[in-house]
Amino acid sequence: MPALSGELVVFGFASFLALAFALLMVVQKTPVRSVLSLVVTFFGLSVLAILLAAPFIAALQIFVYAGAILVLFLFVIMLLNLKEETADKDDRPVQRTLGLLVALALGGLLAGATLRAPVPPRGPLTGPRIPMPDEIPALGRLLFSDYLFAFEVLSLLLLVAAVGALLLSKRRFE
Amino acid sequence: MSPALATALEGAAKIAFVWGVVLGAVLPNLIWVERRMAGLIQDRPGPNRVGPFGLLQAIADILKMFMKEDVVPMYADRLLHTIAPLILLVPAMTTFAVIPFGSSIHLFGRDIPLVIADVNIGILYVFALTSIGIYGLVLAGWASNNKFALMGGLRSSAQVISYELAMGIAAISVLLAAGSLRLTKVVEYQASGTFLGFLPLWNCFPQALGCMIFVVSAFAETNRLPFDLPEAEAELVAGYHTEYSAFRFGMFFMAEYLNLIAASAMMATLYFGGWSLPGLHPTGILGGVISIAVFAAKTGFFIFLFVWVRWTLPRFRFDQLMNLGWKVFLPLSLLNLIVTGALVLWGVV
Repeated sequence: MPALSGELVVFGFASFLALAFALLMVVQKTPVRSVLSLVVTFFGLSVLAILLAAPFIAALQIFVYAGAILVLFLFVIMLLNLKEETADKDDRPVQRTLGLLVALALGGLLAGATLRAPVPPRGPLTGPRIPMPDEIPALGRLLFSDYLFAFEVLSLLLLVAAVGALLLSKRRFE
Repeated sequence: MSPALATALEGAAKIAFVWGVVLGAVLPNLIWVERRMAGLIQDRPGPNRVGPFGLLQAIADILKMFMKEDVVPMYADRLLHTIAPLILLVPAMTTFAVIPFGSSIHLFGRDIPLVIADVNIGILYVFALTSIGIYGLVLAGWASNNKFALMGGLRSSAQVISYELAMGIAAISVLLAAGSLRLTKVVEYQASGTFLGFLPLWNCFPQALGCMIFVVSAFAETNRLPFDLPEAEAELVAGYHTEYSAFRFGMFFMAEYLNLIAASAMMATLYFGGWSLPGLHPTGILGGVISIAVFAAKTGFFIFLFVWVRWTLPRFRFDQLMNLGWKVFLPLSLLNLIVTGALVLWGVV
């Protein structure tokens, strides 16, 4: 058991927030409250990023996910005026069972991997240094050199998704 | 005194100074300025009964809000209705943390930079906080269980997404030129040279287009006329805060003005050189005070601009607002980014 430090307290609190509100998001009946729970989860994750000395990731997490994407979610939910979900009868038993099985398998895999992972040694970390927070230009340089291919493929993926969404919505109107 | 304690004290003193000035001096006077300016522009006296020139009107208004009953409508979402004004107010109050309000002061044997937190993600921090504040508006509209309020909340979410994009791309051009997300670096860069040999290197000159986009988008972000569609009292009663009374309404009111002050400070910092002035090289305590005064004057000008525009221009229609954001500002901000990139590449700025 590591000594109780300020960092550990913040870590515990942020992780608890993230996990508890992720759970709340799933079990919540009102869609608007689900979205809000997810916002709190993102805040928890962003605090964890700050603990890892990555404030850039933390700010992006809030700005992009909480600030843009979830506001869009909220907009759509309010536009369609989605009310509370009613407990509908189980009309897709196969999917439900399959989903449960896949979730259990994934959970087991993650738990097993976590338990078997080597415990990092105590003391200051050694090894190659990843770009530190003040080196946002370094991060950009890495993205456009070593990881250029992955970066471009990702942007292509986003473009495909945008074009696909346009196509789907157009087809419906015609 | 240990260094950690000294740093903590320094931070606390700076927070007390910034909040003291913003909440204690600027905010109440801003309410007075807005109402008197409205009177001036509309050719009527404006509030002139409470105190000399009506200066105590804001205090009377705040007292009135404290005294009134806090009504929560029936069938409203009580929890969200209660916390919505807080979600708007807290980010509005914390934006000021990263804005450098002066150069630096040498006091008690320490060099004190005049910014509360000089974080390396300065611009992103401000954008992240303003985008969180929107939840306050949207939730207020949704939780009120009122169709007018819901329309207001809906409009604010669509409006903010549309304008944040153009505003963000305009800000990217600024950090491209300055080479850092740190706001102190952005100011230092603007103080560091000249543009075309005779203009100060303020971003508003090489990036005039981006500056224009940022300023207009700031009106949309702060829900001020001509873009105050979430409120639009002529169509939506009072928009998202229709069902709010007493001090919860006061919190929305406060947050709107705090956002206005923060947006003005950001414009001064990103595009008009922050605390710097050509030919001014602040040293010593007097220099620090002068740099604060320069920053205050620039911010004050933009606050004045906000008030001036509010009482001059009529409100946009919602489709006009969306068209302007997506079809005009977004392409123009990309153009501005390309031009700035070329200027940086050729070493002009």
